[in-house]
Amino acid sequence: MKKLNVEDVFSSRLRMKILKMLNQVGELNVSDIARRLSVNYETTSGHLKVLEDEGILQHQVFGRIRLYRLNERSAKAKAVQNLIETWEKTQQ
Amino acid sequence: MSQYRNVFKDETKLDINYVPYKLPHRDRELRLLTEFFSFELQTPDKMAQRVLITGDVGTGKTALSQRFGADIVREAVKRGINLRYIHVNCREHRGSLFLILQHVVSAFHPNFPKRGYSAEELLSMLTEVLDDENVHVVLALDEFDSLVELEGTEAVYKLTRLQETRQNRPQRLSLICILRNLNVIASLDLSTRSTLQSNVISLQKYDRQQLTDILKDRILLAFKPATVPEETVSLIAELAFSENGNARFGIELLWRAGKYANAEERDIVTPECVREAVSSIIPAMRKSDLVSLGFHEKLFLLGTARLFKQTQKAQVSLTEAEQAYTIACEESNAKPISHTQLWKYVKTLSAIGILKAEVSSTGSRGRSTLIYLPRIPAQELEKELVALLEKGEA
Repeated sequence: MKKLNVEDVFSSRLRMKILKMLNQVGELNVSDIARRLSVNYETTSGHLKVLEDEGILQHQVFGRIRLYRLNERSAKAKAVQNLIETWEKTQQ
Repeated sequence: MSQYRNVFKDETKLDINYVPYKLPHRDRELRLLTEFFSFELQTPDKMAQRVLITGDVGTGKTALSQRFGADIVREAVKRGINLRYIHVNCREHRGSLFLILQHVVSAFHPNFPKRGYSAEELLSMLTEVLDDENVHVVLALDEFDSLVELEGTEAVYKLTRLQETRQNRPQRLSLICILRNLNVIASLDLSTRSTLQSNVISLQKYDRQQLTDILKDRILLAFKPATVPEETVSLIAELAFSENGNARFGIELLWRAGKYANAEERDIVTPECVREAVSSIIPAMRKSDLVSLGFHEKLFLLGTARLFKQTQKAQVSLTEAEQAYTIACEESNAKPISHTQLWKYVKTLSAIGILKAEVSSTGSRGRSTLIYLPRIPAQELEKELVALLEKGEA
């Protein structure tokens, strides 16, 4: 699987929103993320897949429920977390 | 402005959700409960348990379960066992199995979706979650009656037999079902009943002495030293006992009486504060009850009310009340009636619920009648009676 460049991952407004959201609330299922973003299920799934393929997100499955969260073992996820938190702190 | 007086040291210790470290008069039951779940600390994977705790309101069912929960989790942490105690009030979740299970799942995944699947699916998801977390759960289902009433046999069966569908897998979920009356279980089918009823802990209602001990424990935790005299404790214990041995009622009353003491800038919580507190909870005095009393009944009650007000006692003897009545008669230029008739008045006033009489046989000089004014503030009662007597409504 070809890895994306950083600009390709972060060039999407929706992907940044997903990362911000998951950093804030911890974990969410696909439908909930789609509802909060006001976009459809397929679009959301696509973005989640990109972020998961990059190792930034991980998911757990319970029955029909798929819960996504930041991959706590990933250095990229930690970097994203730092970026969002630093950004928000300096915005205050 | 006067300096604010506060009889409380820490009033949160009287909160309904506070679980004391020590549960007076429930040591045996706590040991038994711990014994039922001892496997959780030795071989948690090998078995699951179901225990019923039953007893009237205020007998300590919830406190017992929560104390046990906190103790066993602490012990499990020491031994490196991943054990969680989760307490759910079924009534707060409208008796719905779905909502109850969702509450349990949300203890591990707070944003677990709230819709889109059945209770049965959720039950299976719960086992997946527990496996994923490698955790053992003691789930306390408080007010279990409401779950049985709403969902009936099917749901309870699934919940209690969950582990049987997981042969050769670690046992994860044990249950404590807390309910007032075992009769509720009778509506379940035989096999569910037999599963549930193998371990039952029945809590008997507290007697006066036990209630006194419970109150004294809480007073030590919640009040400043020497702010709650024995008389006050004894009156609250008496009232809690008359409310079916309800310790929760007693503790709430204690808190409320403390609030009245603070509001009136008193340094101590007097029996009169308790009466004020009770009358704020239960509208005990109907003026029509007083109006319908006879002239001498009013005078007797007036004397007794004044006696309570002056002495700040929780109880007085019939002899003391009779002396106070004689003084009230003198004020009204009335001739006192006989002792036998007064005894009849005491019985009438007890039946209406204004006084409470008790024959004490502990005195060295035989039996004596003790009178309580449990629910009405003496000052308020005196005011009402004086007004009625002045109006001549005898």
